[in-house]
Formats: sequence, C-alpha cells, structure tokens
Amino acid sequence: MTHSLADTRRVLPPDTPILDRVRAFVRENFLYMQPDWPLADDTPLLAAGVLDSIGVLELVEFLQREYGVTVADDDMTEQNLGSLNGIVAYVTSLRAERTNGPGLRLET
Amino acid sequence: MCGIAGIARRDGRDVSRETLRRMLGAIRHRGPDGEGTWSAPGIGLGHVRLSVLDIAGGAQPMSNESGTVHLSYNGELFNYVELRDELTAAGWRFRTRSDTEVLLRAYEAWGTSMLGRFNGQFAFALHDSNERGLLIARDRFGILPLFFAERGGDFVFASEVKGILASRIVSAAPDPRGLDEVFTFWAARPPRTAFAGVRTLEPGTFGWWKGGRLRLSRYYQPDHQSRVQGDSPLEALDQVLRSAIDIRTRADVTVGAYLSGGLDSSVTCALTAQSMSRPPRTYSLAFEDAALDESPHQTLLAAHLGCDHVSRRVGQREIAESLPATVWHAETPMLRTAPAPMFLLSKLVRDSGVKVVLSGEGADEVFLGYELFKETLLRRSALAAPAGAGGGGFASLYPELPSRLRSSGLWGDFFVVAGPPDDMLFSHLPRFGLSSRIRRFYSPEFLAELGEFDPLDELRNSLPDAFAQWSPLGRAAWLEMHTLLSPYLLATQGDRMTMAHGVELRVPYLDHRLFEFAAALPDAAKLNGTKDKAILRDWAAGVLPAAAASRPKHAYRAPVVAPLLGTNAPEWVQDLLSPDEVRRAGIFSPEAVDGLVRRCGNGRREGELERQALVAIVTTGLWHRAFVNPPEPMATL
Repeated sequence: MTHSLADTRRVLPPDTPILDRVRAFVRENFLYMQPDWPLADDTPLLAAGVLDSIGVLELVEFLQREYGVTVADDDMTEQNLGSLNGIVAYVTSLRAERTNGPGLRLET
Repeated sequence: MCGIAGIARRDGRDVSRETLRRMLGAIRHRGPDGEGTWSAPGIGLGHVRLSVLDIAGGAQPMSNESGTVHLSYNGELFNYVELRDELTAAGWRFRTRSDTEVLLRAYEAWGTSMLGRFNGQFAFALHDSNERGLLIARDRFGILPLFFAERGGDFVFASEVKGILASRIVSAAPDPRGLDEVFTFWAARPPRTAFAGVRTLEPGTFGWWKGGRLRLSRYYQPDHQSRVQGDSPLEALDQVLRSAIDIRTRADVTVGAYLSGGLDSSVTCALTAQSMSRPPRTYSLAFEDAALDESPHQTLLAAHLGCDHVSRRVGQREIAESLPATVWHAETPMLRTAPAPMFLLSKLVRDSGVKVVLSGEGADEVFLGYELFKETLLRRSALAAPAGAGGGGFASLYPELPSRLRSSGLWGDFFVVAGPPDDMLFSHLPRFGLSSRIRRFYSPEFLAELGEFDPLDELRNSLPDAFAQWSPLGRAAWLEMHTLLSPYLLATQGDRMTMAHGVELRVPYLDHRLFEFAAALPDAAKLNGTKDKAILRDWAAGVLPAAAASRPKHAYRAPVVAPLLGTNAPEWVQDLLSPDEVRRAGIFSPEAVDGLVRRCGNGRREGELERQALVAIVTTGLWHRAFVNPPEPMATL
C-alpha cells in the first residue's frame, strides 16, 4: 500500500482551523499507537517524546505542504515547533507574512 | 570454545545420559568437534567441543586423578602457559597441554581465588564431590555465556537457553520484565533474561550450588576511577596492547581476524600480524547499500598488511531472510538487525576452515569512542550554560542524520530534555528514552503484567558502590559496558552469532589488564575535545596508515522498513504482523502494530521509533514462535 504521511486533508475539510489539523496530524503520525494519549495544546512535544528528530522534519514537511509556507532552518526552534500552540502561532505568523509582506510579520 | 550443559539434583537422583545428550544436541553448533558426558548420583555434566587448544588431549568433561573434581568448561585461559608454569613450580603435574587441565589444577591449588588469576574468557561448571557442590563461574566481562534455572530441587545450566529448555525440566515462557528491559536497554539486564525462570550468571561472578541452594559471589567489579598517569602512557599502552594480542593468538588452529575498516579492528589486525609474524586471514562484511559499505577502507588495510582477505557481500533481502535463524541463535528479541550480517559473516569464516577470529569489540567502551560520550559532555555543558547559550557543538553529533536537522535550534533540545545531570543514568537517558517508547505498542494485558516495574529505577538501585565517585564519563563507560556491551554486543551480536557456526570470538580490548589501564587514564587521554579514542589513535599513528588511524567512527544504520515491509520482504513478516499472531504472542497490541505497518508503508522515511519498534515486534514474533509457541517441537539432536 502506498501511503506517505497521513494526509489529514482526506478526512478534514479545508477550512479546518490550524490547531485541529495539526493536532490530527500529530496524533495520526506520532501517537497512532496510543489513541488515548493525553495530547494537550501546550504539551511539550519534544520533552514528552512525541516528536523525535525525524518527526520534526516530517512536521516541517507537513506544514510547508499543507500551508504553502517555508520553514527556515533558523525557525526550527522549541518555541515555534515544540507545542501545538507554538506551531499554530508560528504558522499563523508565516501566513500573515506571506499575505502582508515580510515587514509585517506578527510577533509571537 | 565450546558448549556446556548439565543438571545437579538436590535429591541425588540420577541424570540420564539421554537427557544430557538432548541438552547438548540443542547447542551442538557450539562444539561440532566432539562430545562428552559424565554423571554420578545427583549430577550430570555435558560438553560439546570446539577444538582449539591441544586437539588430542583436551577432551571434556575432564576430571582429576582421584575423580573428586569434574569440569565442563567453555572458553580460553589465554595466560594458561604462565599459570601452568606457576602450578608446575608448585608441584602440580600435567597430563595434557590443554588450558582445561590448567583450570582444573588451578581449582585444586587455589579454589575460587583462581578466578582473579585468569586472563581469558570463560564460563564453566565444576563439580567437587568433597564440597558436595557445583561451582559455576563466568569471566569478568561476560564474553562467554552461562544460563541457569532452578526447578523443584533441580539446578539446570547451559551455554544457551535452548540447552536448558531441552532438559524438559523448564519450559519457555516470556518474562515481562526481561522483555521490557530488552525494549529499554537493548538487552535483558543480567541476571534477567527474556525467559521466565531462566537467569544468566552475571559477568565477574561465581556461584556455589550446594544442598539445593545457590549462593552467588562477585569476584570482579570494573573500576572506572581515573588515577595518576605514569610517565609514558603510550609506551604502557603499546606493551599491554601487544601482550593482549600475543596471548590471544595462542591456538593449535589458524587464527583469523574481523576487519571492519575502522580503527579498532585495524589495530587488532596489525598487531595480530606482528604477533604471528605473518598476516592473519581477515574477514569483512560488504554491503550492497553504499551508505553502509566500508569496503574501500577494508581493502586498504588488508593490502597494507598483506592479509589474505575475504569479504561477504550482504544485501537487505538476505539480512531479512536471516532473521529467523539469527533470533533462534540469539534467543532474544532485538532492536536492530545488525546481528544478522554477523551471523552470515561467521559462516564465511567457518566455510574457509577457520575456527577462531579476533575482533575489535570493547575498544569504544574502553577508550570512549562512541558519540554517546561526546554527547554526554555536550549535554552537561548545555545544561550548565545560561539559557540560550551553548548547544552549537551538538551539530557535529550523528553526522549521518540530515544536516538541516543538526543545525536547527531544536537539535540540541532533544539531548537536553532527556534528563537532569544529577541523574546517575544521565549519559544514557536519551537512548533509554528513545527505546522505551516501544512501550507505547504494548498490549494492555502486557502493561498490566508489568505493573509498576521501572527498569531504570532498578538499574539506579543496583549501581556499584563507587559509581557516584567516578567522573561523568567513567559512569557512562560503566553503563555502556553493563547495559550494552556485555548483554548485547558480546552476546546477541557476538558469541551467539559466531558460535552459530562454531567460530570462537576473541576480544583483545577486553583483556582485563588493558581495560584496567585504559579505565585508569584521565578522561582527556581518551576523549580529547572531539578526538575520540585519542590515546589509541596517537598510538595507531605509528602503526597504521594515516587514513586508518584518524578515520572517524562509521555508524552502522541499516534500513529496516523497506527490507521488512517492502515488495521484496519475506512472506513470513506479514504473517508475524497479523493480528492473530500478534495477539497470540501477547506482548504487543494488534491495533498498534497495524498502525505501525500503515505508518511505515512504502517509501516512508524511517523514524528511529519506527525502526526500533518494527524490528522489536518482528523479532519478538520470531522469538515467540521459536521458543514459546513453536509450530513443531524445537529441534534437538
């Protein structure tokens, strides 16, 4: 069966909030073996062992593909990718930057 | 080296020759050159022989003239010549040229204090009718195996668990705690094994079984305390290294050497050539996967030394197909497929007519060669630094991982979040944390069986008394030798794989004099900034080509997802991963396994969890089928 990263667009409508889509992505790709694992919006994904090093790269790939943004190497930090809340804030700011131009990037 | 097996009975009942032969039949691969048994009321000893020293005279079990002491022994006492001289000078007479007889006489002369005089690798059982007891012992680092079980007043022992199972006194059942340790530490931690009721004798210990009770004692505890260095450490290293090799080339058969292309085995091969005054036959693995292959380095060294060199080319399909045999010999689930190519390599050695190989195991532990040691120091610095400072050094670790990842701000975080520096297990928390995520795949029933068991806490509570006084790197080295080198690298990937084809493995870096010399060196003599195995490299610069002496460590990271789940995968893999099979084994959750298989898929990038979990689940299925619930009775004679 050809199956790359779990594609949440197949199960979630396009206007799904970023938080819900990212949560679904994390659950399907990193917590598939424990569906009841308590994933909160502020759970520290690295410290809790949800994301490992390759998982981070997969997350970045997903965000870039899903939201059409580019994640700079320097942006791969705990603050931006270390929790669902952080990811949402980061992606939101990237999309705003893409819409409004680089000078108006939202502070997070 | 050989295989041993036997039974001691509290009630003095006979041990039948048939039972002994059945036990020996299960470990015959360890000793294809001969077999012997001895029994008396309440005791039976068996031995299968791999003839290496004194081919004619070294038959076993061996007894003294009065017949009060009988010995069944697996191993080599490399300083047997010196011991024999000492015993002869003290009036003891020898009938053979074997090291077996040296062990026997040493016992008669010195009792269990003989163990501290041995420089070798060994596991043996010795019955003393005057003591009315059975003595079992194992070498300092657990190079050779010894398993035992007690049931209903019977004491059953063997070189491999399958020898014990063949007694039919003990049947195979999983030990949940042993398995949880496999999925945390990469191997069950001695004395535990993956089998309920079956224990392994810890390295550096001996036991007396008398009157139905086993009393264990430790005769050796590795000491990682740095001491003041002498004036000429390079000279001292030269002497002890050469001596370690010299005594390990003692054999009445051809001695070969493994040559991986790295520093450690290059040193071993070079010194073996000098010791024997001719190049050894050398053996290597060559991988079809270019990222794994080290052939050019192997060829360079072999040519430099003039070795008669042969290489075994291995592809991923063959590695996958070898897994059932690998697991049968290893007797445990595993987290890597790395033992499988070693299984194939030892067959090459045997087919070439060679029975003994020297290998480089132990050098990375003894001279601080692993990335883990650098990582430990980097983590400590990062945690001691103010927030936001430090962490740049992490980018140099694990160069085989994508550079984008290693230069990201997150990369250092992975190491830093693993645990605090005052945790005695600090150095190994990232590894243990990674592996123990396999727990997420356990079935609810298996989790319930484990209850509150915490393998890390148990380890914390069983550290040597001096542990806290050692440097962070000294502690890391002890943990590495205790949790990985001894129970996994020397066992699953070492002895079990070479003896599968009747090949004896000798490991000069674990000569106790060399270990003690290296352990006493200041840390900086071993790990100097980013220069690992510094003193060994400095020494090697005078012996090896420059490229070999300075070559960085090449990590072996074989892919597992494609070989096990791709289009060329063996058919039995899907069988093993089916819900029915997974449920039958009772350890993993069928739903979680299904999720893993779907997640892996084809062309899927492998995360470390997927790699370890997939191998763990597949090899657990193989192990369960081979031992706990075989479709047919286990092969014996």
